[in-house]
Amino acid sequence: MDRSSNHTASPSPGGIFWTFFRISALTIGGGYAMVPVIEKEVTSKKWMDEKEFYDLFALAQSFPGPIALNTALIVGRRMAGIAGFCLAMAGILVPPFVSVLLVALLLDGFGDYPPVRGFLDGAAAVIPGLVGALLWRMCTTRTWTVWRAACTLCAAAAIIFFRAWAIPLFFASVLVALAGEARS
Amino acid sequence: MTILDLAWVFFRIGIAAYGGGWTIVGIIKTEIMGRGWITETGFADLVAVSQVTPGPVALNAATLVGYRLAGIPGAAAATAAVIAFPVLAILLATSLLARLGKARGILQEALKTGTIALVAMTLWTFLPAAASSRISGILAAVSFALAAFTKTHPLFIILGAGAAGLVLSFLVP
Repeated sequence: MDRSSNHTASPSPGGIFWTFFRISALTIGGGYAMVPVIEKEVTSKKWMDEKEFYDLFALAQSFPGPIALNTALIVGRRMAGIAGFCLAMAGILVPPFVSVLLVALLLDGFGDYPPVRGFLDGAAAVIPGLVGALLWRMCTTRTWTVWRAACTLCAAAAIIFFRAWAIPLFFASVLVALAGEARS
Repeated sequence: MTILDLAWVFFRIGIAAYGGGWTIVGIIKTEIMGRGWITETGFADLVAVSQVTPGPVALNAATLVGYRLAGIPGAAAATAAVIAFPVLAILLATSLLARLGKARGILQEALKTGTIALVAMTLWTFLPAAASSRISGILAAVSFALAAFTKTHPLFIILGAGAAGLVLSFLVP
């Protein structure tokens, strides 16, 4: 990949690892909370400009997988080839893996203690609300056509009622949608 | 269930993991609970913990499910398996997709159809939890309103609800 063009500073291998390690260790709230932090880091370090970052982010969304991981992998590779790819991956993966296991070990000991139970029940109770809000935002920001609406409704109904087939049905609905988009 | 079964399920989940954390959590839920590997409450706990620990929610959820089912080796296997396909795809197909240019817009539009459907499924499977008690219903409704119509950071919503649950645990024995 050509890495001579837009950015002015070249990161060291350690710089790539620590940057993503820090972002992953300190950002709570999942992928969409992490992406703006990654953007701020790479642009303030002059690794790339904002436009290039959001081009790479758009590319990252074309792949399955956690969006923060995908973005880090593509940015790391853009900065330093396969080495950058691997360093960014290690930086993103290590902090959550270790911290989640520590929390799980703690819960093994304290999970049935009533205040802890209360906290977990409260935190779990917002999940339908947050998922509903995500669905709301996805639906209100999309540009709808009759075809897209019909396709999405059928896909949702099929996936809800044949949940065991969610993964194949997801791909089938994307293919049908793709055929419709390509034709119009 | 062996480590290989676990890795295979998470590898499959990784292939369809478009559209960020909540679609992945929904697929994990149907795949893992559909096999009877984990209970409804057990899964809700794991997701609650995934949200308040650092890192991508989907990755945390995979690590935790793996840990619950088969200890540290399970955690490692589930994490590696869920990212295996995305990592390979990005490694092998980035330049290909980058060259698609305008056609990528069409692909992303089509992906929206599938991801909205998956998020709808995730919501559907979590709705019974919201209807299970008055407090759960209120917390779900308030968090929906805050997340959909204000710019409140989700973390504050989660921690706020957790704190409310903690206080209630003293009031309602």
